[in-house]
Amino acid sequence: MVLGLILCDDSNMPTALIVDDHAAFRASVRTLLQDEGFQVVGEAEDGRSGLELARALDPDLVLLDVALPDLSGLDVAAGLAGGRSKVVLVSSRRPEDFGARFREAPVLGFIAKDELSGPALSDLLEESL
Amino acid sequence: MKTLRLVLLAAGLALGVIAYRVQIHNLGVFTTPARASAIVIGAWLFLVAGIVAWSRRPANRLGPLMTAAGIALLLRQLRYSHDGVLFTVFFIVGELSYWVVAHAAFAYPSGRLTDRLERLLIKSGYTITFFFTIAILIFYDGSRPLRFFDRAPRGSLISISGHGEVAVTVQKAFVIVVWGILGVVAIALIVRKLVRATPRARRILAPLLIAAITVGLRAIFESVFTFVERPSAILYEYLFWWQIAAFIALPVALLAGLLRARLARAGVGDLVLELEGTPPQGIRDALSRALDDPTLEVLFWLPERNGFVDAAGRGAELPSVDNRTITTLENAGEPIAALVHDPSLLEEPKLVEAAGAAARLALENARLHAQTRAQLEQVRESRVRIVTTADEERRRIERDIHDGAQQRLVALALQLRSAQRRLMDGSDPEVDRLLAATVNELQVAVEELRELARGVHPAILTEDGLAAALESLVSRTPFPVDLDAAEGRLPAQVEATAYFVACEALANIVKHAGASSAIVRTVRQNGLLVVEVEDDGIGGAIAANGSGLRGLADRVEALGGRFRVESPVNGGTRIVGEIPCAS
Repeated sequence: MVLGLILCDDSNMPTALIVDDHAAFRASVRTLLQDEGFQVVGEAEDGRSGLELARALDPDLVLLDVALPDLSGLDVAAGLAGGRSKVVLVSSRRPEDFGARFREAPVLGFIAKDELSGPALSDLLEESL
Repeated sequence: MKTLRLVLLAAGLALGVIAYRVQIHNLGVFTTPARASAIVIGAWLFLVAGIVAWSRRPANRLGPLMTAAGIALLLRQLRYSHDGVLFTVFFIVGELSYWVVAHAAFAYPSGRLTDRLERLLIKSGYTITFFFTIAILIFYDGSRPLRFFDRAPRGSLISISGHGEVAVTVQKAFVIVVWGILGVVAIALIVRKLVRATPRARRILAPLLIAAITVGLRAIFESVFTFVERPSAILYEYLFWWQIAAFIALPVALLAGLLRARLARAGVGDLVLELEGTPPQGIRDALSRALDDPTLEVLFWLPERNGFVDAAGRGAELPSVDNRTITTLENAGEPIAALVHDPSLLEEPKLVEAAGAAARLALENARLHAQTRAQLEQVRESRVRIVTTADEERRRIERDIHDGAQQRLVALALQLRSAQRRLMDGSDPEVDRLLAATVNELQVAVEELRELARGVHPAILTEDGLAAALESLVSRTPFPVDLDAAEGRLPAQVEATAYFVACEALANIVKHAGASSAIVRTVRQNGLLVVEVEDDGIGGAIAANGSGLRGLADRVEALGGRFRVESPVNGGTRIVGEIPCAS
């Protein structure tokens, strides 16, 4: 389900989309991203609406939970592969809790949810430049 | 009834003598003593076989039918008499006699014509033959000899003179229609009967029906000869003896069938002795031999289930298909067992009854055995359910931890981190320090919850399967582990059991073994998933002593598998679980 959508765009700020099924986490991340200078243009609580929103909004960053109620976050990442958006996977689990598909996912990187912070995100984004 | 049979037997024997004399005195060069006596002996064999069958199985109509066939075949010979009354009456009876024989052959072994087409054939045979013979007698005036008769004229009581040629033509038509066409139909129906019979019934029917086919073929040849002006005498001689041989074979085959049933009943005596030393699972085979039915199944009645089970205690339904018949064996009004057998055994109710009585005690024992097996099977199924339910519960707890407390703590940590960031103006360093400490504590709590959830049931096992879960497990083990895991998914309880074997084994190695390295291997072979964990530690582990290993053994055995620990002192430890997997 598409939960939030900002159509007006402040063109100077990088845009972000949050795809996660936990409302409290989305709220916290929204604050964190805004503090980091992102404009959060949308939120989705499942994989299908995440894909739909990402294609419609073409955000600079997609913060994507690995475990979603319908599709896997890895399926969503595969659907977005080749696009402009940078995808960062997040999860409350550790990388070793996932199999080979996770390691081969076409994403910028992974941040454990409890370690998610402005600097952690900046480091990952800078690495990609 | 016994008197009637004796009278018929005596009358038949006397009639045989008369039939012989009628042939010799009336057919002249058209017969010989050998041929005349062969015909009488063939008919007598029918008579005797019929009387024997009648006395053995009074309720079965086959005995009276065979007796009637024997008498009719003897009466047939009286048609050769030059007396007008005898000729007229027995010309009709004589031709009908072959249909009595066919009737008996098709009615074997029950004595009844159960098939619609067979009934139609026999009825048509009787009716068409009757009207043809009447027609022949109406036109026969002695001016032209009839087929199979000598040249001397006979007086038909219903004759219209001046139509001798028509009589011969009608007789030809009769031979073509009745012996030729109906003969072919009869053979086709016999072949059909053999093809459609169950294997056991086919073995019983085959000799009789093959003899019947031989008779039928002889009739068809006769029909073909109506188109030949003068068939060779030698050929006719051969065909005569062919016919005699087939007519002798028919009652002999019937007697053999009867004898076979008697021999089988005698074999029931051996069954009693055989069953004394037979284990419960061998009873079916012993009964199958005694009843000569390889398809026999024995099912046991379990009152507490209100249903049947097989010898292994597995629930079984009584079949309701046409080619299986069920005989229920009872003791004091209570069912013990059901024999699911070939329907041909219904023709030998005494055999089934005798075998059932002989096997009653053994069957009662086997029933108790099956009952125990059924209870064990219930326990086994219950153990599988316990393991499966426990796994599902563990998965649910893992999801609850992940989706509930873990997510809330993570969100809280993020919010505190945001708050911390907004307060980073240095106005109150104590608040800043407190917030940092709280976030750290929260991270520790999240990590502990993660470990707890992983230990309860790793999500990777559900999502990516055993090989990925083992890879994750090995990567967290604090010493080198060589992993060789079979790829591919298996039923959830199999994967979970194999995972927990490896997990517990590695945990034991860390705690007790003092090992420097280990090997974890999973292989699929012969319908089993074999999971093996080996270390180079101090050994000396005993499954019975460690509750962890004992629990693993219980878990593996609950799924019908085997678990063993090889752990010689100072020789390392090898733990092997063999878990049946459906694919």
